[in-house]
Amino acid sequence: LTENARSIPAPLRAVWDVLTSLKLTIVCLAGLMVLVMACTLAQVNLGTWGAVAAYMRPWIVWWHLPASTIVLPVFPGGALIGAVLMVNLALTGLRYLEPKRRKYGLMLVHAGLVIFFVGEFISAIYQVDTRLAVEIGQTVNFVESPRENELTITDVSDPASDEVFGLPEQLLARADTIAVTGTPLTIKVRRYFQNAELTNRAPSDPPSMATIGVGTQVTVKELPPVSNDDHQNTVTAYVEPVAGGVSYGTWLVSNVLGSPQSFTHEGRTYTLAMKPRRWYLPYSVTLKEFRHEVYPGTDIPKNFASLVQLRDPGAKQDREVLIYMNQPLRYAGRTFYQASFGKQDTLSILQVVENPGWLMPYIACGLVTLGLLVHFGIALRRALRKRAALTEATT
Amino acid sequence: VPARQLKTLSSLALASSLFLAACSRDEITHFKVPKSGGPPAGAPMQPPPGMPPGMGAGQQAPPGMQGDVPPPPAPDRGMHWTLPKGWTEERTGGMRYATLKAPVQGKADGSVVVLPGPAGGELQNVNRWRGQIGLPPIDDAALAAARKVMASKAGKISFYDFTSEGHTKSRLLAGLLEAGGQTWFVKLTGDEAAVTAARPDFMKILESLHLD
Repeated sequence: LTENARSIPAPLRAVWDVLTSLKLTIVCLAGLMVLVMACTLAQVNLGTWGAVAAYMRPWIVWWHLPASTIVLPVFPGGALIGAVLMVNLALTGLRYLEPKRRKYGLMLVHAGLVIFFVGEFISAIYQVDTRLAVEIGQTVNFVESPRENELTITDVSDPASDEVFGLPEQLLARADTIAVTGTPLTIKVRRYFQNAELTNRAPSDPPSMATIGVGTQVTVKELPPVSNDDHQNTVTAYVEPVAGGVSYGTWLVSNVLGSPQSFTHEGRTYTLAMKPRRWYLPYSVTLKEFRHEVYPGTDIPKNFASLVQLRDPGAKQDREVLIYMNQPLRYAGRTFYQASFGKQDTLSILQVVENPGWLMPYIACGLVTLGLLVHFGIALRRALRKRAALTEATT
Repeated sequence: VPARQLKTLSSLALASSLFLAACSRDEITHFKVPKSGGPPAGAPMQPPPGMPPGMGAGQQAPPGMQGDVPPPPAPDRGMHWTLPKGWTEERTGGMRYATLKAPVQGKADGSVVVLPGPAGGELQNVNRWRGQIGLPPIDDAALAAARKVMASKAGKISFYDFTSEGHTKSRLLAGLLEAGGQTWFVKLTGDEAAVTAARPDFMKILESLHLD
């Protein structure tokens, strides 16, 4: 490979040399250590998710220059270092590991590490963390995001079913006008607040941006996003539904407002509400029993367990499942973990993780372990052979 | 071999861009949900006691902001009416004092709602109703022109009748009555044809209103 590499044009060869450099491996590992340290310290101000979003997920770590709007790139982000390290590991494997039997173990180790990094990228992009809260006797067919909200537009006109459209808050944050496919509605986003404080409007307050609904009586004050993991943002927006050239007024929507607000267009009634982001499932979960065991004489939890009935008519499934600590339910691409409980042990909260790459860390660890064993086995065999040959020569 | 190396590099670059392009986290979701499935739309999640950090449902709304109308008071005096033939009623309690059903084809929802005091004022309520069927707000002069005053045993009723524009028109009939420090709203809204068919009976209900 090295000889053939000489036939590559000089500029590309320089890139090839850098990408297959073992020094680059060390630089990447050192960079990851710095990021882990910075991310850990940043959790004090940003909270866990904020710190991960600022340091580990992006390609570049940005620094906001105090008292200005200037943002400067200060360090490669976790995604960039991870990608470089992944390419480096793959290419160094190609460059240095000759396809000989004695290198098979190291090849497996490299392959395992590359799969580990690919798995992390898949998780970063595709993993969806949600929760399912269900009370004893209740049947639930949806999961909700614990952190993200959406503007829910529901066509409630049909007596048998509702058409529910969810506009994620990320979309409200960056779009001015959103056409809601499947309805004649277009939503104009007049203002979006990632976090805000809502108070009853005093006579001295400036006029509300809302022209209709409860928002006309409310004053909205923008707040910085919360950093504490215990708190949640009051996600708020002023939105104006338009349909058939008619404006239905500017409405205030917020996740702290209760009942949805509604309007009627062409005989169809639509409700507007800001709510936790929700995904409906083609199956349902009924909580039959919840057990909360403690160690005798203490309040220290010993075990939480939810006995649920899983019903999926499409897949002809109707069975009982016991979900307890470290024994999740894996079904249709989602994993349901026992996470919490409440309401005097009548409410069970399941953490629901959807991650198409969930198997990859296991495969990666298996490959690395197998690779190390193979490499050790080969080295041991060679050493034993050498010793036998030496013994034979000296006797 | 160089071609293979270049291929490896370009495959990795392509895979990375595919990952980014496949990012669909801010797409609009759409579900068709049976009415009976799950809690009613907009029902706020209550953070249960003992819920760990990060799992709470957030802060509560300030007083008086639990919906598009203030929380319901307990009416001091009950409202009564004579139900025309074929109509049905359901005393729901709470903010919505009663739900009325007209024996007509199409959508026509009747409601009796009671709120404390002037409930935000007549103009604001009328404009809220108009907004709900896509009509622009009106001013005090237009309000006076749209108002028809009716007499009942419970007192004077301000009556409004609005029809929306568009191919499928909506119609709204509403009677507004102030009595005993409270405001009563008797409303019928829905498809134009259905509401028009139910209008004569609805007017009889308004005329028959009386307090305890």
